Amino acid sequence: MRQIFLVFKREYLTRVKKKSFLLATILTPLLFPALIFGIIYLANTDGGNEDKDIFVLDESGYFADAFNDSDYNYSHVTGTLDEAKAKFQEEGVYGLIHIPVLDLEDATKTRYDNFSFFSETNPGNSVMNDFERVIRVKLESIKLDRSGIDPNVINSLKVSIDLDSFNLGETGEAKENNTGLSSAIGYIFGFLIYMFIFIYGSQIMQSVLDEKTSRIVEVIVSSVRPFQLMMGKVLGVGAVGFTQLLIWIVLMFTLTSVGIAVFGGPAAGMEMMADQMSQEIELTETQETVANIENLLGTVPVVKILVSFLFYFLGAYFLYGALYAAVGSSVDSMQDAQQFMFPIMIPIIAAIISLGFVLDDPHSSLAVTLSMIPFTSPIIMMARLPFGVPTWQLLLSMVLLVGGFMGTIWVAGRIYRVGILMYGAKVNWKTIAKWFTMKV
Amino acid sequence: MNILEANNVSKAYAAHKALDDVSISIPKQSIFGLLGPNGAGKTTLIRIINQIIMSDGGEILINGEKLHPKHVNVIGYLPEERGLYKKMKVGEQLMYLAQLKGLSSGEARSRIKNWLDKMSLTEWAGKKVEDLSKGMAQKIQFIATVMHEPDLLILDEPFSGFDPVNANLIKDEIFELREKGATVIFSTHRMESVEQLCDDIAMINHSKKILDGTKKDIKKSYKSNKYQVDYKGQLTGLSPEFSIVETSVIEDDFSQAIIQVQNGQNPNQLLSELINKTEVHGFTEVIPSINDIFITIVEEAQS
Repeated sequence: MRQIFLVFKREYLTRVKKKSFLLATILTPLLFPALIFGIIYLANTDGGNEDKDIFVLDESGYFADAFNDSDYNYSHVTGTLDEAKAKFQEEGVYGLIHIPVLDLEDATKTRYDNFSFFSETNPGNSVMNDFERVIRVKLESIKLDRSGIDPNVINSLKVSIDLDSFNLGETGEAKENNTGLSSAIGYIFGFLIYMFIFIYGSQIMQSVLDEKTSRIVEVIVSSVRPFQLMMGKVLGVGAVGFTQLLIWIVLMFTLTSVGIAVFGGPAAGMEMMADQMSQEIELTETQETVANIENLLGTVPVVKILVSFLFYFLGAYFLYGALYAAVGSSVDSMQDAQQFMFPIMIPIIAAIISLGFVLDDPHSSLAVTLSMIPFTSPIIMMARLPFGVPTWQLLLSMVLLVGGFMGTIWVAGRIYRVGILMYGAKVNWKTIAKWFTMKV
Repeated sequence: MNILEANNVSKAYAAHKALDDVSISIPKQSIFGLLGPNGAGKTTLIRIINQIIMSDGGEILINGEKLHPKHVNVIGYLPEERGLYKKMKVGEQLMYLAQLKGLSSGEARSRIKNWLDKMSLTEWAGKKVEDLSKGMAQKIQFIATVMHEPDLLILDEPFSGFDPVNANLIKDEIFELREKGATVIFSTHRMESVEQLCDDIAMINHSKKILDGTKKDIKKSYKSNKYQVDYKGQLTGLSPEFSIVETSVIEDDFSQAIIQVQNGQNPNQLLSELINKTEVHGFTEVIPSINDIFITIVEEAQS
């Protein structure tokens, strides 16, 4: 145990004391919101099309007042299409909409073709949709007008419904659930596990490889059993990941609270000084939103999810961490590692790909099966959990995961103890199988 | 009392036999040479002693006890393939390695300080290994090997990477450690490099031990009763007990001859005969080097 602890301590401290760790740990929580806000900001400022001039050549005569939205700078032109095209090129405007002569006398006709949009560059989908919508709405309103139907009748035919879904628990108590929130939670936790395996698994591999290439490993294994070295490494790197996660959570909470205190405070104060009435409305709305969120959170088993997350998080990390260590011990360089990395990644990638299907139907046989297989269960079970999973399935999946990671650690340990002492060997799956069965 | 005894140790990798029924015993406080060409099985034996790998058969005794995990702390091992953590600071690295060998951090700290002072590396304690010169890194590796004052020091190809200055420094340290009670195993394929250092030797070839014993006895038993004579002028007409094996001219009229003395004759008789025949300038017994003995044995085995 002392040896594992010493290895653990070294792996942990050398990583945590690095400047790059400090930088990544502090910058990531700042970087992500900054990125998101940056994208939103750019999208908002860039969204302006007001300075884009659009010519409208309306040969039908129905659209004189249709193009009235302020998104573009419309101007109507007259003459033939060729003249309009010439003018379009001459003045270098953004686009030209051509509306041909239309026959609206036939009330049964619902399809109208031959509208054209000319521009120098390929217009985006949203631009085309905008124009299509304007034309369609105008045509529909003309046809409605002519049909003599009261618009109120049309409106009264449109209904909206709200289908609430409930979980009928074993107690017979109906619990409201929220599919959107459940999916979001499933995605977030699934991806966290995926990222963690990916980032810290490669760190384990790098660490094993460093010891091998720097040739210190033989000195180390003359005082530490290879298995202890491997476990110390897996635990140490894992603890670094946990530390990082913890700091992120603390940082994000602090930043959010600080953000609310700084930006929320004065804003609220100004509102208070403003109209008393509107402030009251504001308040009740806010209270309602908070209550809504609390309600929603009440629909998912938060404690169960968090405890399970820690469990699956650790299980997945041990399972894949050991495999990464085995790969690192088998090769002499990062390049050689690629051929072994891919098969390891296949189950994780499969889990991520099937995540969409699982969230669509969390109780399908695909979802249940994948949440049992230790290689995919951490990601898939975390995705299923918010939707409610029978206790026996959860327990079985956990037992299988424990068995799974003990199995992979055992297999990895056998490969590792031979691999770390092999230099310049041409490694393929056959040699690895040989190392696995080799008596050391 | 032997600090280490290996009895009938065998080790095979698939079809390849790495060690075949090898037995050696190493007396306490000796300097022991484990000799043989590359691939003979020396490193396999050393790894078994270090409990890095396990033997298929046979047993290893350390101080009369069967090999046990606790024994890693009485051994100091400098492998042939050796290195350090490049990104780690010298002091922290030595601390880590010392603690792995069972030293407390307080004890380790004072020993590290003493050793760094001794090797005049004190001001490098806070530097990363990658900033060190190769010679300095070698000294650090040596410190890491001996820091926990092991009873048994195993040095695999110790001088292969060392420059001559460091090699001498290390040799002196090794002798000092031996004086303090340590036993040293040198493993090397460059037999001439340890010939003058060793008290006892064992030779391994093709996974088998082919010879062992004290260096003195071995050399004695492979002495072939030949003498090298430097002389001026001519040398002819020796009695039949003495036959000239080969002659060569050194310079001008100085020559050198290797003379085989028949059993039952002693060098004094040869010398007195030579004095009558020529002008003797040098007279030494031809003692075979360990390397020569090795080649002789291998050739005998082949024929």
